[in-house]
Amino acid sequence: MTKRTRLFLMASGGILVVGLGTGLVAAYVGGFQNLTLIGSSGPGELAYIPSDARVVAYANVREIIDSELHQKLKTLHQSRSDDGLARFEAETGVDVTRDVDYVVAVMGGAAGTPNQGPPLVLARGRFDEVRVEGLVRGKGGTVEDYKGQRLFTYKEADNQEAVPVAMTFLEPGLIAMGADSAVRGTIDVRTGAANATQNEELMRLVKDANDGGNAWVVARFDALASNGQVPSDMLARLPAINWVTITSHVNGGIRAAVRAETRDESAAKNLREVLQGMLALARLQTGQRAELTGIVNSIELGGEGKNVSLALSVPIEAIDLLAGLAAPRPAPDAPAAEPTPAP
Amino acid sequence: MTARPSLPALPTFVTGAVRVFSLSLSEMLWSRRTVFLLLVTGAPVFLAVVARIVQSSGIVPLRVNGVAVDGASVFGMMIWVFFLRFIIPVLGVFYGTALMADEIEDRTITYLFTRPIRRGAVLVGKYLAYLVCTSLVVLPSVVLVYFLLVPFSQVARTFTSFAIDLGLLALGLAAYGALFALVGAALKRPLVSGLVFVFGWEQVALLVPGYFRRFTVAHYVQALVPHAMPSDGVASLLQSVLTDNPPALVCLLVLAGIVGVTLWLAVSAVESREYVLDQ
Repeated sequence: MTKRTRLFLMASGGILVVGLGTGLVAAYVGGFQNLTLIGSSGPGELAYIPSDARVVAYANVREIIDSELHQKLKTLHQSRSDDGLARFEAETGVDVTRDVDYVVAVMGGAAGTPNQGPPLVLARGRFDEVRVEGLVRGKGGTVEDYKGQRLFTYKEADNQEAVPVAMTFLEPGLIAMGADSAVRGTIDVRTGAANATQNEELMRLVKDANDGGNAWVVARFDALASNGQVPSDMLARLPAINWVTITSHVNGGIRAAVRAETRDESAAKNLREVLQGMLALARLQTGQRAELTGIVNSIELGGEGKNVSLALSVPIEAIDLLAGLAAPRPAPDAPAAEPTPAP
Repeated sequence: MTARPSLPALPTFVTGAVRVFSLSLSEMLWSRRTVFLLLVTGAPVFLAVVARIVQSSGIVPLRVNGVAVDGASVFGMMIWVFFLRFIIPVLGVFYGTALMADEIEDRTITYLFTRPIRRGAVLVGKYLAYLVCTSLVVLPSVVLVYFLLVPFSQVARTFTSFAIDLGLLALGLAAYGALFALVGAALKRPLVSGLVFVFGWEQVALLVPGYFRRFTVAHYVQALVPHAMPSDGVASLLQSVLTDNPPALVCLLVLAGIVGVTLWLAVSAVESREYVLDQ
């Protein structure tokens, strides 16, 4: 090996070592965010979710908070969002913009019915457990031991119909909160009950959704429809849909894709036709409105086999326009009083 | 009667391969092909420098559909567009097919084959030299592009993806190189066949619905990419959502299998084939 070859190898290897070393140190200091294995099938918190989950949603709060879109929206709605977040921080001791990395929300199944079960939220981040416990106790909450896990529970004393809520720290930096039964369910899963990673159908969809964006929802359509969230007229006209996946990537703007998995191919064909009609109608109605035309024209209908998909892109300029439309308009001046005729 | 001095023992397969590697590495590094290698890997670095300069002057270097694209996303896009779709397969074709073809063309294969080492060790040594030579040019180029494009504040968040990128690019070089080493050892016009495979078969098979994509290397390499497919339009978003990627473990096993099997077949081809030099 000649001298210049050795020199080249040392220079190339040096760049690699310095680059990797710098990145490794930065990642170590930053807590190894996003340390997921390649091709991971969704967040690791799925191992705490019961296998009968009917709706699973994920949001990478850190990425969304850091996104250009969020910065833009923050300047548009400064006071309103700060009020809500400040109230949440006062009640839970958690500053969402600083303490939370990502959130997984789950609706379990209600036994024997297609309805949604109680809600559960798992948040990964940095939490002051002592402060959170103090806040719960301060509001009249109680602490109990459930299967070796400290469980904080709370029920409004003056409202008998209120659902009892609970909260627990499943592991350092992972908080589970929601309906009492749901939080107990996740502790059951932790102690051996079947978890979502064993539900192959759900995991297949979660993996697809997780690959496509920083916020997504995977839901059984009957669970979504059972609570009256889909108008009954529309529901009667829609073909049989099994699963719905909504994937979005929030950065400068929003790119989103909605994918429906129908019972069979003919249902998918019917759904495509229904959506095609709706798209045509939307294009017709927004033809005169430049601010909406771009968004509607960006919608693409696709899919093959049992899948039907809709993708759309909302650039930040369109969000500016929409925000402008949504801004409260100044009230028209009161009509001038009729001049009183002189006597 | 005096005992005949014993002949030195023949080097083992591994020793032979290491000797050929040591010899071939310098030869490969300072060849004309390396100029091409530097040009193709230098282009992304140059673009990254330009983007950095533009960004430092307060202008957003890239917008897609009016949306400003951040440095990490631009880096992901460059990994897809430059490295995965072009540089890795092209280097695999040019270097892999030339491992034996160059020796035949230069009529130096006779000298190599008369050495007391197994023919297969010659191929393996040259393959290892290719791997080191290309990796040590491509991977530092990726490192430079990464640190030029991604702000330091985002390094913690994106480091894992970056490390995966480096690993999968090295794996891609290994897989394409081994496949085209076989093509170079077994076929008469290996470069043409290699280019047809990379720019013909792989491009078509990846777009055709069904199982054809499983017979490409790109399918398994691209399934490991931690970045979203570049958003050339909404159609690409749809493609990324609907593409049925194999699990990571399957991809790793298939790529390792491609390296192992094709290299073994290439060694067998070199050891059994009779190379007739044109007069």
